[in-house]
Amino acid sequence: MQLEKFYYDNKIVKYFANATALWGLVGMTAGLWVAIQFYFPAASLDYAGTTFGRLRPIHTNAIIFAFVGNCMFTGVYYSLQRLCKARMFSDKLSQIHFWGWQSIITAAALTLFFGYTTGKEYAELEWPIDIMITLVWVVFGINMFGTIFKRREKHLYVAIWFYIATWITVAMLHIVNSFEIPVSLFKSYSWYAGVQDALVQWWYGHNAVAFFLTTPILGLMYYFLPKAANRPVYSYRLSIIHFWALIFIYIWAGPHHLLYTALPDWAQSLGVVFSIMLIAPSWGGMLNGLFTLRGAWDKVREEPVLKFFVVAVTCYGMATFEGPMMSLKSVNAIAHFTDWVIGHVHIGGLGWNGFMAFGMLYWLFPKMWGTTIYSKKLANNHFWLGTIGIVIYAIPLYWAGFAQADMWKTFTESGQLKFQFLETVTSIIPMYITRSVGGTLYLIGAFMMVYNLYKTAKQGSFIANEAAEAAPLVKASSHAKEYWHRWIERRPATLLVFSLIVVAIGGLLELVPTFLIKSNVPTISSVKPYTPLELQGRDLYIREGCYTCHSQMIRPFRDEVARYGEYSKAGEFIYDHPFQWGSKRTGPDLAREGGKYPDSWHYNHMMEPALMSPGSIMPRYGWLLDDNLDTASTPAKIRAMQTLGVPYPKGYDQQANRDLMIQANSIRINLKMDKIETPATKEIIALIAYLQRLGKDIKAEKRTETAAIK
Amino acid sequence: MFTLQPFLTKRHLLKPLLMLFLLLITFSVTAQQAAASKPPSTWSNPLAITLLMVILALLLIIFLLANVLLGTAKLFTDKERKKAKAFTVFSVLFTPLLSTAQDAVVTAPAVSSYSGLSATTFWLLVTVIIIELLVIVVMSLFVKRFLAKEEVAFAAKQTIEKPAFVKTWWDKFNRFKPVEQEADMDLGHDYDGIRELDNRLPPWWLYGFYVTILIAGIYLWRYHIAETAPLSKQEYEIAMRHAEEEKAVYLAKAANNIDENTVVMLTEATALNAGKNNFVQMCAACHGKAGEGAVGPNLTDDYWLNGGSIKDVFKMIKYGRPEKGMKSWQEDYSPIQIAQLASFIKSLKGTNPPNGKEKQGELYKETAEVTVDSTAVKEVAVNH
Repeated sequence: MQLEKFYYDNKIVKYFANATALWGLVGMTAGLWVAIQFYFPAASLDYAGTTFGRLRPIHTNAIIFAFVGNCMFTGVYYSLQRLCKARMFSDKLSQIHFWGWQSIITAAALTLFFGYTTGKEYAELEWPIDIMITLVWVVFGINMFGTIFKRREKHLYVAIWFYIATWITVAMLHIVNSFEIPVSLFKSYSWYAGVQDALVQWWYGHNAVAFFLTTPILGLMYYFLPKAANRPVYSYRLSIIHFWALIFIYIWAGPHHLLYTALPDWAQSLGVVFSIMLIAPSWGGMLNGLFTLRGAWDKVREEPVLKFFVVAVTCYGMATFEGPMMSLKSVNAIAHFTDWVIGHVHIGGLGWNGFMAFGMLYWLFPKMWGTTIYSKKLANNHFWLGTIGIVIYAIPLYWAGFAQADMWKTFTESGQLKFQFLETVTSIIPMYITRSVGGTLYLIGAFMMVYNLYKTAKQGSFIANEAAEAAPLVKASSHAKEYWHRWIERRPATLLVFSLIVVAIGGLLELVPTFLIKSNVPTISSVKPYTPLELQGRDLYIREGCYTCHSQMIRPFRDEVARYGEYSKAGEFIYDHPFQWGSKRTGPDLAREGGKYPDSWHYNHMMEPALMSPGSIMPRYGWLLDDNLDTASTPAKIRAMQTLGVPYPKGYDQQANRDLMIQANSIRINLKMDKIETPATKEIIALIAYLQRLGKDIKAEKRTETAAIK
Repeated sequence: MFTLQPFLTKRHLLKPLLMLFLLLITFSVTAQQAAASKPPSTWSNPLAITLLMVILALLLIIFLLANVLLGTAKLFTDKERKKAKAFTVFSVLFTPLLSTAQDAVVTAPAVSSYSGLSATTFWLLVTVIIIELLVIVVMSLFVKRFLAKEEVAFAAKQTIEKPAFVKTWWDKFNRFKPVEQEADMDLGHDYDGIRELDNRLPPWWLYGFYVTILIAGIYLWRYHIAETAPLSKQEYEIAMRHAEEEKAVYLAKAANNIDENTVVMLTEATALNAGKNNFVQMCAACHGKAGEGAVGPNLTDDYWLNGGSIKDVFKMIKYGRPEKGMKSWQEDYSPIQIAQLASFIKSLKGTNPPNGKEKQGELYKETAEVTVDSTAVKEVAVNH
């Protein structure tokens, strides 16, 4: 057989690798900045773009889509060519993919900074960027499958199964969750409302973790770990079983983010049981990684790359065991809304994703520049600094989570809540300080890596096109006596379709009944659409990212009902496009905030939170007091809501601003009675209107009920 | 093979220990926090949990070290042509340690409590940690001693044989085949130089998977078919009933069984001071630090929106008037605390603080209440 000569494209790998390092530093720095704001609120700089509510989405998006995203593409573009024995399908598409993705990231950072957000976690980007993501993802898909189809290797290696499953599932998740109706260029409303929006969002959110942060990185592990250790993969059949089991089961587990909420019980239970069943498939990946190192542990002692991989895989195992435990309802009752969750995701983020990326980069740079690592010692120090950083980051947060949940739930003997909410926050501030120390160590390590990689590249010379040769693919006649799974490994298109079917089952069986069966969301007659002013206020609430610290979901617990009021019902959220249940309580729940305090309290609180609650760590929102509300957008917003089925009367869009001014004036007068002079046109007025509306509908129902009894 | 060579040199032993030390520092910083909450049970005490976790982590290190020690001891003894079993080394090792342990227990001083942990428990846990640390230090010293003569030969030899019992246990547990038989399991796959083996699934993993599937089935059956386990809302009702019972039992025997019908003006300085503290913390935001009024009404004049008797003030604090911006405080403060607050507020009358807010509500005459309080309450109520 005549061997064919061809060249691997290292240039695109270099581009993605550089972007990984750069965005990694940006994302981690943003993370440290928000961490500092927990104990030093002035770090918000009293500027809208740098307050927690806007900076936190920048941090999460930068880490997930910029750092891990580019890391994924680096590894895929490097390994796919070599596993297929072929150059990438099209250099042009590679370039479009790279620059497209970087412009998405830049657009994301800018829009989030300026407050353009959909208000759905990890899917905050507005609709034009959503479309860009879809297009670039399709380009990536064409390039990947083009390469696979022109491969010189008959069978697809397990890493490629993971790449394929990643591609198709992320496409599905992104499209379904991004259904939204545009109001203007940078404003849209989620197609779904309330309970349904929550279910779709966490189906997406959980599987963004699964199919953006886990499966592609498992693919990278299957390539880079055996390569770096020079050991055979421990078990082929373990690969097969854990791959299919993982992608099938993962997709079901989303509802564990909504335990004890207004989500129907059957969906919650599915979330619980599929999370439990997820332990073994997840651990399959860890075991296959660690057991591959059998007989190579002496290399682990020497090689920083392997050290990073070992800790990464171990962290993956820890996080994927902890996750199912947190999905048990009794544990979730403690963990949810606390910092335990933040600790948990950072074991995954810093440990698994970060260390896999670092290990991969330390391995790739010497290879692509035809040299050795500039300083092994520096890399080793990075490893230890990072490891200690993770531990010092996570443990204080676990502690904080336990301590705060315990304080929330403590009653005095005579039946009163023992602690004010604020006390439970100030008591864990030492833990917040310690955690940021851990984060700082980790960040310093990352800077050391960038320096080390830079010096490595400096001392070598870049091999842009790496020569290789392989025999072309021929049609073999007999596949006698081979493993049954080999059949599908020869058929990438079939593998793609099978993956889609496997991941679609869980999604369909959970989402469709929630949408179609009416009893899942019992209607409450007193629940009415938001007034135009409240709607505008709600959009400000979303713009400022209030949901990053405040939940709007009172769970049916004694302490939450005592602290916040009647627990939340599914029917209360039917006009909430998007839902704003939140996932963390750095501040108290706001589901029944309406009427709790006078308008003037909210005015003063937004101007200077510590004035109304001494010791508060909430940032100041001075610009809400100064800026005028954009009422020009009201008619378009009302029309969009009407399209989504919110029952405003016909032609109400033209009348909306008149009603808005009437309500704004009544709030202005209220404030004036409390000696606060402000024009009715300011943003703060709309926000007060929204906050004073929260949870009122069901209170109204209670009152009419009691009246009826009398 | 899961050998333990990566941990063998002194340098590599030091770093995990250093890490542990750093961790302990972190704990001691945060330990003060635990004192604030004082949870009811020892084992929900975060300090106790942390200490336990440290103990377990150290145990794991000891276990790993023991393996290393046994390996090195075997090498050492083989070399010395002594037939002594590794267990002998172990027993020799532990004898002095046990006596140290006893000493440590005896010398523990008696202090009442640490961060909500009883002194006994705290010192018991700390002692265990100290013993574990000692074991680790001694073991590492022994490893070092055994290795000192072997270092050269050891580095040359890539893998050492582990003692039989370690091998069989770990290998059986994972169904490992010896690395030497790897060639038989090679599937002949070659992806850019990556080969694949056909190892069996680790049995504990496979059966673990089956068990989770079984658990999933039982879970769904219990919650949704047999309906023997409570769903969220039922859980809530159970918890509320339980709380009511507990509260009733407590209130039945508690001295602070006060409500708006039985409350009387408190005059002791301690009660008023307690009321003042809570007032400054929570009420001052709306009513001013001296009760002069701001968002809320002035509390120092003779005019009251909802009645000015001690009973009215108590009632107002307890139930609030949410539509006017005064929230209900009965979930935040106990009846006695509300009585203290009400008494403090009443004691502010006529203090005339600066920036006092204008009069609001009806004039209230004190005397009426003192003499015939039940009718006075009604009279004031008419004024709303």
